[in-house]
Amino acid sequence: MNDSTEEQIRFELESILERRNADTRLTTMGAGSDNVEDGRQYLAKTVTGGWHVPTWPPEFGGRGASPSQNALIGRLLREFVVPDLYPFAIGLGMVGPALLAHGTQGQQQDWLQPIASGSSIWCQMFSEPEAGSDLANVALKATQDGEEWVLSGQKTWTSRAMWADWAICLARTDPGQPKHKGLTMFALPIDIPGVEVRPLTQMNRDAHFSEVFVEEARVLDLWRIGEIGEGWRVAMTVLAHERAGGGSRGGGDGNARGVRIPGWISDLQALGVAENQLWRDEVSNIYSHDRVSRWTSQRAADEARVSGVPGPAGSGAKLRTVKSYKDRAYLSNRSAASYGMLTEGAGYIETMTAPSMSIRGGTDEIQRNILGERVLGLPGEPRLDRDVPWSDSRRGLL
Amino acid sequence: MSETPGVDSLVTETADRLFTQICDHEAVQNAETSGDAPEIWSAFADTGFPWISIAEDQGGSGGSLLDALEVLRLVGYHAAPIPAAETGILGGWLFASSGHEIPEGPITVLPDGGANVTGSVTGDEITLSGTCIRVPWARIADRIAVLLEIDSQSIVASVDPKDCLIQPMTNMAGEPRDTVCFDEVKAAVAPAVPGVDLESFRFRGALSRVALMAGAIEKMSQLTVSYTNDRVQFGRPVARFQAVQQHLVWGAQEAALARMAAETAAREANRGSAFFEIAAAKLIANQAAAKATKACHQAHGAMGMTQEYPLHHYSRRLWAWRKEYGSDAEWSSWLGKVAVSQGAQGLYPLITGGSLNLD
Repeated sequence: MNDSTEEQIRFELESILERRNADTRLTTMGAGSDNVEDGRQYLAKTVTGGWHVPTWPPEFGGRGASPSQNALIGRLLREFVVPDLYPFAIGLGMVGPALLAHGTQGQQQDWLQPIASGSSIWCQMFSEPEAGSDLANVALKATQDGEEWVLSGQKTWTSRAMWADWAICLARTDPGQPKHKGLTMFALPIDIPGVEVRPLTQMNRDAHFSEVFVEEARVLDLWRIGEIGEGWRVAMTVLAHERAGGGSRGGGDGNARGVRIPGWISDLQALGVAENQLWRDEVSNIYSHDRVSRWTSQRAADEARVSGVPGPAGSGAKLRTVKSYKDRAYLSNRSAASYGMLTEGAGYIETMTAPSMSIRGGTDEIQRNILGERVLGLPGEPRLDRDVPWSDSRRGLL
Repeated sequence: MSETPGVDSLVTETADRLFTQICDHEAVQNAETSGDAPEIWSAFADTGFPWISIAEDQGGSGGSLLDALEVLRLVGYHAAPIPAAETGILGGWLFASSGHEIPEGPITVLPDGGANVTGSVTGDEITLSGTCIRVPWARIADRIAVLLEIDSQSIVASVDPKDCLIQPMTNMAGEPRDTVCFDEVKAAVAPAVPGVDLESFRFRGALSRVALMAGAIEKMSQLTVSYTNDRVQFGRPVARFQAVQQHLVWGAQEAALARMAAETAAREANRGSAFFEIAAAKLIANQAAAKATKACHQAHGAMGMTQEYPLHHYSRRLWAWRKEYGSDAEWSSWLGKVAVSQGAQGLYPLITGGSLNLD
C-alpha cells in the first residue's frame, strides 16, 4: 500500500472516530475498567482501514504499513478518542505478532482478522503456581492422541481469562527433555469441556486475573503454534512483544492535538502543585522520563517489527515505562495530601496498581537479567537445571 | 519481637497474644467488608487496653504514654481494624484533659482539628456546624471528641454521633474514614487544661501514626523474609538470589529505622515536649513506608498483590497512614523552618538535643 499523507490519514480517521479534547480521561490498563464494549466498537470501526494494527497485512486487518507510516498513524490516533483496549491487548499486541512470526497460514487466516476487528479476545496461559519468574518450569502437560492433544494442569495470573474466547497456552509435551526444550505452544478455546476459570481478586479490587484449571481438555493438532518442542521460542516472542508494548496502543494519556499538557499534569495543576518549585521539578523530571520511555518503547516495537525478532530493547522499555507509571502514581497521591488516602482520592487506583507494574510481564529483576546477559554480555545467573531432564529437576534431584 | 525499654512487658505480651489469637488474616479481611470488627474491639476493650495512659481516677486504665504507644505499635503490627489511637491517646486524652466522662465504647476525633467545623458556646453547651471528612470509625463511635480554639481558649466538646449525619467512606486500606456533618449539633463543652490545643493534638496524632506504622513495617518485613524463604523458583528459594536479598535488606532496615524513630519520639513525648522528635519520626516513618512497601511487594511478586495473601493489609495501611497527621511535605517544611530558625550555631544542638533545645 502506498504511503498516505498526514492530511489523508487524518481525514479518514475523522470520518470514523471522535476527536479528543483536553478533558478526555482514560482508564488505567488492568485496573478498574470493565468496559469491553467501547473497545470492541472502536476496533470494528478501525479494522476496515487497518488503522489499529497498520503493520499487519491488509487481509488480516492491517494495511501493510511501513514502520514510519505506522509511527505517523500512531501519533495521529492520539488526536482521537481511543478507548482502553485492555481486554484486547493480548491478541493485538502479543498473540497477533507471534502468529505472524510462528503461525501457519491457516492459523493466520482464521485468527488474525477476528483479533484486529475485536470480535475475538485472547488471553495468555503462561504462569503457573510454580512457574512465575521461572516460566520454563511450566508443568501443565499435553499428550498427543492422534490428531488431538489432551491438556491437563493449572495456570494462574491469567489476565482477561473471563472475557477470552481463546488462550495461548504453554504446555509441557516432553518431561524427559531439559525444561526449556520440552515445551510446546497451543491455542486453546476457553469454553471447551475441561477448562474452568476462577477469578482472583487483587488488592486494587480488580478481578481481571484468574486461575485456570485444565482437566483433560482436548485441542486439535491444527491449533499447535510452532513446532513440537519449540514452545519456549514462541513464548519468548510473545513476551518480548509484551515488554516492547507493541500494539498496546490505546489508553494512556498522550497529547491530543493542540493539547500540550498530559492529563496527569493537568490533574496536578488542579491540586495546586504548580505553585511549588520542588513539585515543579519533580513533575518535569517525570515528564522527561515519560517521554524518553515512550520513545524507547516505540524504538523497541519498531525494531521488533523490522527484524521480526523482538530483542532485549523491550526489557529496557518495560523498565522505563514501569518507573514512569510508578513515579506518577506516587507523585499524584502525595500531592493530594491527606485527601489522597481515601478510596475516592487522587491516584487511588494507580497507587494500588503501581507495585504490580514491576511484576507483571516479567519482574524488573528478570528484565535487568536480560539486559545484563544479552546487552552487556555479563555472566548469567547460575542455572543448575538447564541441561537436566525437567522431570528430574522437578523431583528435586539437583 | 524485642522489648522496648521503659515499657511494661506484661502489657505488650498480653496485647500481642490477644491479637495473635483473634486478629488473623480472615478477621481483618472481614472487617474491611463489613466496616467494623466488634469481636476484636470487645476483646481489646475488655482488657482495658484502649484507655492505657489515662489515669484510673479519670476513667482510664492507668499506665504511661509509652505503654499506650507500644500497644499501638502492636495494633499496627497485627493490622487490627479498630479505633485504638482515637479512643485512647487522642480522644480519651482530650476528654480526660477537659473533665468529660470517658464513654464505655470507642471514641473518635476530628483529624486536623476539624478545620471546617465552627462552634458557638453558651454556658457549658456548644452548637457545632460544619463538615469534617476522614473521621476514623465515626459510624461505630460512642462519642466524638471535638477540639476547638475559640478566643484563644481550647475547648473540648463531647458529641453524640447520633446527632450528626454520618456518611461512610473508607481509606485505601478499607478502614472507615467517614464524613461527619454537624448541622447545629448541641453538645456539652468544657475548657481543656493548658498544653492541650490544636498544635499539641496534631503532634499527638502524628505520634500515634508513627507507632502504628513502625509496627506495620516490621510485620511486612517479617512476612517478606518468610515468604521468600518458602517460595522456590529456578530450583531454590528466591531468598537465595542476591537481587531478592537486597529487597529484604531494604525492608528490614526501614523497619528498624521507623521503630527507632518511633521509640525516640515516644520516649521524649513521655518526658515532655517532643515536637522536633515527633516531626522527624513522622517524616522518617512516611519515607520508610514508601521504601519498605516497594521492596516488600517486589520481593513477593504476584502473590503479594492478591487479597488472599495478607501483605496488602500492611502496605495499604501504610499508604493511608503516611498521609494522616502530616505528609512528607508538611513535616519536611516544618523541620526545615525550625532548623533555619535556630541559625548555624543552633543546628547541631538541635539535632543532638532535640526538642529540649527549642523554646
